[in-house]
Amino acid sequence: MRREGGPWLAWVLLILALLLIALSESGALGPLQDVLSYVVAPVERGVSAVVRNLGLLTRSTRDVQALQQRVSELETSLEALVQENFRLREYQAENEELRRQLNYTQQNPTLGFVGADVIQQGCTTFPCGDVVGEDTNPYLRYIVINVGSRSGVAPGMPVVTGGAAMVGRIARTSPNLSYVQLINDPDSRVAAMLQQSRVMGVVDGSEEGQLLMTNILPDETVAEGETVITSSIGGLLPRNLILGQIESVSYGEADLFQQAIVRPAVDFRRLETVLVITDFPQPDLGELDAQ
Amino acid sequence: MSLYFGIPIMLVAAVLQSVWLGNVHILGGRPDLVLLLTITWSIIRGGHEGALWGFVGGVFCDLLSGSGFGLWTLTLTSVGLFVGQPWVHSLGPTVIRLAVMSAFGTLLGHILLIVIMTLLGYSVNVGRAIQTVAGPAALLNFLLSPFVFTFLVWFHRRSGPRPGGFAA
Repeated sequence: MRREGGPWLAWVLLILALLLIALSESGALGPLQDVLSYVVAPVERGVSAVVRNLGLLTRSTRDVQALQQRVSELETSLEALVQENFRLREYQAENEELRRQLNYTQQNPTLGFVGADVIQQGCTTFPCGDVVGEDTNPYLRYIVINVGSRSGVAPGMPVVTGGAAMVGRIARTSPNLSYVQLINDPDSRVAAMLQQSRVMGVVDGSEEGQLLMTNILPDETVAEGETVITSSIGGLLPRNLILGQIESVSYGEADLFQQAIVRPAVDFRRLETVLVITDFPQPDLGELDAQ
Repeated sequence: MSLYFGIPIMLVAAVLQSVWLGNVHILGGRPDLVLLLTITWSIIRGGHEGALWGFVGGVFCDLLSGSGFGLWTLTLTSVGLFVGQPWVHSLGPTVIRLAVMSAFGTLLGHILLIVIMTLLGYSVNVGRAIQTVAGPAALLNFLLSPFVFTFLVWFHRRSGPRPGGFAA
């Protein structure tokens, strides 16, 4: 039996692997990854379709399919109702805020005012992608979707479901695939606020896959069941994307901040189709830097 | 010669790992198909070919991962080289070596992956990772190793150099 390559080959490969890590960290490996991804992307899409179809075939009885369809319909209805409820609450909060502002302008007639949002929500383009797989690295909570840089997707862009519930952010792209860091990944941090009380905080992912809202000031009142949305502070995300609902709140005497467990608005295991927000109005942070 | 078939096998294995095995949860974990193929091939054909298959499988796994490129490549190349070292033969017959190394090699691969990730700044809780991911993966790879071994031995018999053939 002949071996492939000499004994030196394995050591060359090890050095090459180390070199790949170094080049990847320096960002110099992008073009090579793009070229290689042209091989992997069609296979990933094809196998994903086959696996999905095989999964459907194994559900043998029609009853199961009928029940599944019924559940799906009910879920769609529920999602629509949740969205409507969310919009109404948002209108209510906005209405109250505008009333407060109007009251303030009436009390201060000598001042000039220009109305502005911290960041407007007004997405213009939504590439729609199917979830084709999960990350091969079991220590990352990432998913793979079948739209990439050729569709205008770039790292940092937010990814949502149809119901404006935030799924995560684009971590890396190839021409035809993108890797989405889910919001429950341990390295994920999202500036957030509570929809009703407007309490600010940060939603972190965790090792267990839970969402934790941290950095809540001790004197704030946080009610269970409140909806957690993105706050757009930092300008990296649009405002009002739904993150979840407050499940429980904890505060120890020695703690600087309150902490809350957030029930995610998205079932990350059942994601099939997602939208990538490629463009949304952002504040010109350059002006702040200039000042 | 084996690498001509090894490349598509590793490609399909990496894609299956992403598309299918990501959703499989047995005994609290999921098997690592590419890692298992690397370990098994290394036991059959030695550390140098194991490293070569590990390198190829690692590149495909890295292409299907949002983490920095090279993590899987370095991990699988190292495991492939380690598992096929001559001293492993002292563990006993092939069945014993396969059983021990599929479990131990999987654990080693995960520990190496965790170490590299930690060095690169990713948040990984080592204790929890070994308990909930690496441990179950080692057990599942141990249970699956006879099937993968049977497939690769069959493949090995067909892909081995023939008289007058050549080795790539």
